[in-house]
Amino acid sequence: MTSRPYQICTKLVMDTSDPSITFDADGVCNHYTDFHRNVKLRWQTGPEGRRQLETAVAAIKQAGKGRDFDCIMGLSGGADSSYMLHMMVTEFGLRPLVFHVDGGWNSEIAVNNINNLIDKLRLDLYTEVINWEEMRNFQLAMFKSGVPHIDIPQDHAFIAVMYKFAHQYGIKHILNGGNISTECVQTPLQVLYWGTDMAQIRDILSRYGTVPMRTYPFSSIFYHKLYLRYLRGVKVLKPLNFMPYIKRDAMELMQREYGWKPYPQKHFESRFTRFFEGYWLPTRFGFDMRRVQFSSLILTGQMTHEEALAKLEPLPYDPELIQLDFDYIATKLGISTDELRDYHEMPSKFYWDYRNQRRIFELGEWVLSRIAGTRRGGAF
Amino acid sequence: MVNYGVGNIQAFAHIYQRLNIPVVVATTAGQMARAEKIVLPGVGAFDWAMARLNASGLRDMLDELVLRQRVPVLGVCVGMQMMAHRSEEGELPGLGWIDAEVVHFDPAQISHAPLPHMGWNDVRPTASDSLFLGIEAPRYYFLHSYCIAPRQQADVLATAYYGSDFTAAVRIGNVFGTQFHPEKSHQWGIDLLRNFADI
Amino acid sequence: MLRPRIIPCLLIHKGGLFKTVQFGAPKYVGDPLNAVRIFNEKEVDELMVLDIDASRLGRAPNETLVAQLAAECRMPLCYGGGVKTVEQFERLIALGVEKVAVSSAAVDEPELITRAAERVGSQSVVVVIDVKTTGLLHQAEVMTVNATKRSGLEPVAFARKMQDLGAGEIVLNSVDRDGQLQGYDLNLVERVRQAVSVPLTALGGAGSLDDIRGLVQRYPIIGAAAGSLFVFKGIYRAVLINYPGRTERDALARPVETRAVSS
Repeated sequence: MTSRPYQICTKLVMDTSDPSITFDADGVCNHYTDFHRNVKLRWQTGPEGRRQLETAVAAIKQAGKGRDFDCIMGLSGGADSSYMLHMMVTEFGLRPLVFHVDGGWNSEIAVNNINNLIDKLRLDLYTEVINWEEMRNFQLAMFKSGVPHIDIPQDHAFIAVMYKFAHQYGIKHILNGGNISTECVQTPLQVLYWGTDMAQIRDILSRYGTVPMRTYPFSSIFYHKLYLRYLRGVKVLKPLNFMPYIKRDAMELMQREYGWKPYPQKHFESRFTRFFEGYWLPTRFGFDMRRVQFSSLILTGQMTHEEALAKLEPLPYDPELIQLDFDYIATKLGISTDELRDYHEMPSKFYWDYRNQRRIFELGEWVLSRIAGTRRGGAF
Repeated sequence: MVNYGVGNIQAFAHIYQRLNIPVVVATTAGQMARAEKIVLPGVGAFDWAMARLNASGLRDMLDELVLRQRVPVLGVCVGMQMMAHRSEEGELPGLGWIDAEVVHFDPAQISHAPLPHMGWNDVRPTASDSLFLGIEAPRYYFLHSYCIAPRQQADVLATAYYGSDFTAAVRIGNVFGTQFHPEKSHQWGIDLLRNFADI
Repeated sequence: MLRPRIIPCLLIHKGGLFKTVQFGAPKYVGDPLNAVRIFNEKEVDELMVLDIDASRLGRAPNETLVAQLAAECRMPLCYGGGVKTVEQFERLIALGVEKVAVSSAAVDEPELITRAAERVGSQSVVVVIDVKTTGLLHQAEVMTVNATKRSGLEPVAFARKMQDLGAGEIVLNSVDRDGQLQGYDLNLVERVRQAVSVPLTALGGAGSLDDIRGLVQRYPIIGAAAGSLFVFKGIYRAVLINYPGRTERDALARPVETRAVSS
């Protein structure tokens, strides 16, 4: 992917597999300096953060008076969003519309965890089941395109459904489990390109798709970030950023309270994501998502540099079992294992090889960072 | 895996593949010749299965491997029943590897319980080594109306209860058999099949 | 002691999983393969998969799909839908299915049951009887072709006939109760139970684990099948697969024998 000599940050575990990484004279990478310069100061998890959160919650409750729900959140079964749900319901008394998007790849652990959570919190769940033929079509098209971001079909559906429900039920507040604590390091755009760039999606689907996408929920970033957010006043809150969020403690609580079954690694609630992050990205693009995750944990004091290096020693996938996953993915997508292998071996492509609105997105990101202090990814 | 056209071969094969234990689905005697362990599956009526086995061309090789070379063999359901001398269910003689008959559940004992015996039932091993090693509170899926009745009590490896106690598993030397379906009994079955491979 | 069998029942329509209400208004539930995989991981007792298009459209079973589903099951799988010939029985068993279910074919050609039982054994021949209350006198009647055709047959007599011809299991499916989550038709179950001695499975109407408990405590040896219950959650009918864990399942059934046993 890059012809630079290999270099790894002296503080974090990000390395030159991130094509946009830069290092200072001491070998410290830009992610480290960016965190300390830009993120850390704004990150309030003490009394000030609590105060800000309470203000936000009060506004949510006010807006929701007399309505069935005061906010909306998506449950993927993921640890962060589940913990957030627990906190916002039990400690702050919010009444969320909780939805789940079923893209056909749910793991049994995820389904089990969602079940326990919903039952114990006595919440009502909405689900949107994506038409599997269309989902498969979309996923296969992404494989054929050769780009890294083949997880877009699941992610895009999630975002689109969320905004659809918010609009449908007149809910103005979205709760998002994104957090600085475990996600402050941004994944390079080259690897995880914007999931809502419809120009990119349309181009790839028109070239490689074979099934009409009749029911798949599409959304555009213009619709949800601009229209709904700024014209209809829909707000996004990331509560986990206003409280001390120590992953280990949070998981212990979830296990105690809900019989939560932990995932072996982040985002493993979907079989596909597990394959994508654990095998496809590292072996095809040389990018190991664990570096991003561990680096975030290092920055927020939940892991040491040494621990991270040690945890990176074993492969991100189990070589004994990977063939089974490979077979399952191929079977589910309706292709042969050989065909899947071909996609694995084909020359790499990136978002710039297809139509895209990157310029507009970056402009938008810049604008939003100025007026709302937000950024792509988990931090704000 | 003895493939004589009867029994859920794929299920066994999948399990062993996922356990990374090499498995050969054998349709010819040649394919069986180097077996270190043999699984003889079976489902359905006795005569039907026996006739298929007789027509498969594998009987001689099976006798050679099991009786003379003492290769461990696991018969499942009708696969086990075929290893007896004969069955009340049919006319054809069995393989005679086990000194036993196959009899119908005793109507007097069964009273109003439905037949076939269908579903998950607890299994009580008489020995905790071999097939049931390390398996806690074993339960397995049964689907049958006839049971094997070994003449020697020592040959009974496990029992289960349905109206009365009956033989759920047998062992005589290198010959093993289960009335239940380990290939369809989730983790209990997978563990048993792994144990068999390890014997 | 033999436990009651608690059986998720999945319906396949246009290649996807659907759930119906009174055999109509199908709601999309998702991809069959993932659902089966999740049920397998939940260690369900057994699984029933019925293709509800096949009879109506005169289609044969989708063998590729069946093979894929069977490969995912470490528990018995019963497959039905569009089965009309003994060869199809054999084929499905060869693909890894434990039991093959027939419904319309059992009415149209009862001898099929006997011939199939001779070939694959009674234990693999399941007759699904779709029962609907019809007519001015609100009598129970056996329906076929996805409950669109009346057969003129009375369910209890029909069940007995099927048993006599060689069926190894009878599945009693209440069309009226389908998808309603209001409980099983216990009256129907009782009447058929009195008449047959092969294993019986009730389907249609289970709305909660209490319904299942009610059924299995009254009939300790029975199959309790459900579609909506294991696939939907909550008042908005969110699609989320759920199934009682082992301890919960054991607690549903009451012990039949009172001997002191160590199990």
